[in-house]
Amino acid sequence: MVTTTPSAVSRSAQPERGAPTPPQRRRRRRVDPTARGILPFVLPALLATAALVLVPIVYTLWLSVSDRQPDGTNAGLLGLGNYREMFANPEFWNALRVTIFLFVVCLVVETVLGLVLGYVMSLDVPGRRIFQGMMLIPAITASVAVGLLWLLIMDPTLGAANQILGAVGIDPVVWLGDPDIAPWSIALVDIWQWTPFMALIISAGIRALPEEPFEAAAIDGASPWRTAWNIGLPLLRPVLTVAILLRTVDLVRFFDTIYIMTQGGPVDATNTLNVYGYRAAFIDQAPSYAAALQITLLVLVIGIAGLFTWLRGREAK
Amino acid sequence: MRRYLTAGVVLAMAGGLLVGCGGGDAGGSSNEINLIMSNHPWQRAIEPLIPEFERESGITVKVQTFAEQQMRDKVQLNLQSRSSAMDVFMALPSREGPQFAKANYYEPLDSYVSGAADYDAEDFPEAVRAGMVVDGKQVAAPINVEAVVLYYRKDLFQEYGLTPPTTLDELTSTAAAIKDRSGGQVTPIALRGQSAALPFTFGPFLHSRGVAWTKEDGVTPNFDDPRAVEAIDQYATLAREYGPDGVVNNTFTQSSALMAAGNAAMMLESSNEVSSIADPKTSKVADNLGVVAFPAGAAGSRTTILSWGLAISSFSQKKDAAWKFVEWATSAQTQQKLTESGIAPPRTSVAGSEAYTASLDTDLLTEWNEVLTSAQTTGSTEVGPVGVAAPEMRKIIGDAVGLVILDRASPAEAATQIQDGLAPQLAKNEG
Repeated sequence: MVTTTPSAVSRSAQPERGAPTPPQRRRRRRVDPTARGILPFVLPALLATAALVLVPIVYTLWLSVSDRQPDGTNAGLLGLGNYREMFANPEFWNALRVTIFLFVVCLVVETVLGLVLGYVMSLDVPGRRIFQGMMLIPAITASVAVGLLWLLIMDPTLGAANQILGAVGIDPVVWLGDPDIAPWSIALVDIWQWTPFMALIISAGIRALPEEPFEAAAIDGASPWRTAWNIGLPLLRPVLTVAILLRTVDLVRFFDTIYIMTQGGPVDATNTLNVYGYRAAFIDQAPSYAAALQITLLVLVIGIAGLFTWLRGREAK
Repeated sequence: MRRYLTAGVVLAMAGGLLVGCGGGDAGGSSNEINLIMSNHPWQRAIEPLIPEFERESGITVKVQTFAEQQMRDKVQLNLQSRSSAMDVFMALPSREGPQFAKANYYEPLDSYVSGAADYDAEDFPEAVRAGMVVDGKQVAAPINVEAVVLYYRKDLFQEYGLTPPTTLDELTSTAAAIKDRSGGQVTPIALRGQSAALPFTFGPFLHSRGVAWTKEDGVTPNFDDPRAVEAIDQYATLAREYGPDGVVNNTFTQSSALMAAGNAAMMLESSNEVSSIADPKTSKVADNLGVVAFPAGAAGSRTTILSWGLAISSFSQKKDAAWKFVEWATSAQTQQKLTESGIAPPRTSVAGSEAYTASLDTDLLTEWNEVLTSAQTTGSTEVGPVGVAAPEMRKIIGDAVGLVILDRASPAEAATQIQDGLAPQLAKNEG
């Protein structure tokens, strides 16, 4: 059963790939990026990209290997001094640990819950559209507002969370004031905010799936679990990878809600790399050290995103 | 021809980008200044008065207000990028003075002050003026005075048969009595636990024992002194045993909210907070509040006092207009008007004026004024260790005391951690 689906797909794709029609060939020649004629049209976009993306990155790179002073002067090239200082600093390793913790916990829970919720949302039930619209509210609310809202909810004495727990006889939880609990509380807020977004992408993916393989599986007598695991998930994988990739990039540079809710505390328990870098630049006034941190973060984001893209490419083959 | 056209378009677009980058800097007409303020009782009191200044001077004041930490971020962003888009800002020289002065962020005010005929700078008390000076230059003009004081609930103290604590030992025993007699229903004391904010209220525990942050030389930390260990122990015990849940994440906002909601019997906070807990519109306990001086230790009652100031950015291109605003905002006349909104006046002439004393029309405000006046002669102006790395040093102290509050380190271990952590930061002062 499983083998039929891919071969069916490739069979239908083959004629197109094998025998390109003349109009296609002409089009391909026209979009050749080395052609001179195209340059004037692409150049403005290239320049804008360079100015807005490349220049800041190159400048940050330069800052990270030099010694910029808070007054704007630069004492000159330092080489890898800032990086050496960073790797020797336990605060950096703690920040890396916190970043990876939040990344793994949030991503796993959001993906699993997103799959379940996405499946429910893909069913044709009355009121589906209204429900879908409501689900989007957390994702389109500014993170600062989300942080402030949850800060009120999680207040240990006056907040709603503990009052609700108290009403059913559960002891109050110190949501943000305990270094062991605070990272989980932050993860909870992120999961609340972003699971619906995952679910929406996934439900759209599920609704776009072809029905034939599922019908075939039903005829062959496969159990619903087996159908979901062996047919649904593999077919959903491209959609899932995109959703995971989007969340990954956001989670590795996690900043906004944390900065509003805990500023990285208590005792650095929620100090992610991005919060740490921000503190270094704007509170401790160490712009070059902060630049080294941000470059490391950039490498981390590119590394993890690259890994996903590579895995995806390998599967596609 | 077409190639030139293309080149022209590209140049125009690049030019547009560059202009876009610089656009924010030009900042309005020559008679317009930008003021950045923190959400603070002083800001709420001065804002309604600004139109008066605009009418008199013909200068337009564009005001931006942010929560305290966001204001710092905004100010730093303007200063680090050497932007002229900010002319005047609320400054805390006790915190960032040496750091900002070293980076040449402040426009020195000395020549402006000496050139202003009616300003009367001598009217500010010596301690307040000294707090605005870094490396012999005046970097800001004082706008208020605040000190750490002890608020308490008169009704609860009466119910439990207690009197407000006058010594450090009594502070802990009173907290214990409240916990005991309320059956754990009332938080005995609300105080700060958030690391960056904690040194302000922790300092008095140190100073009242006769210990300064550093030794005489200014570069050796004083946390190898056994009395510093005692101070850490007492503060952490108060917070852990008698403070609110989740205290390590608390600063003045949470403490005042607890007090105003009637959940706390005592609160160790800035004298400023009187405006948020004594307002019947926001506070359930406005009629039952009392305030006393910080409890005395072996060296007497030595609280922390600080003043916020108004500073002019050295990158401002409208410094004369900026000074006119600073001069007006810190004049005796304006400060007199600000007292009507509960702002403690730094100027001696205003603090002693009949109009001001007559405005203190409740027991709470009378007590509050007495406590604040005496704090100005006995208090310490060092909110944390003084130096270019002041924010970092406060975090080191706050984190270490936080670990003791959480019962993850002993007071002695925390003291060692602070001693070792501060030394390299203080050494930066000599560089």
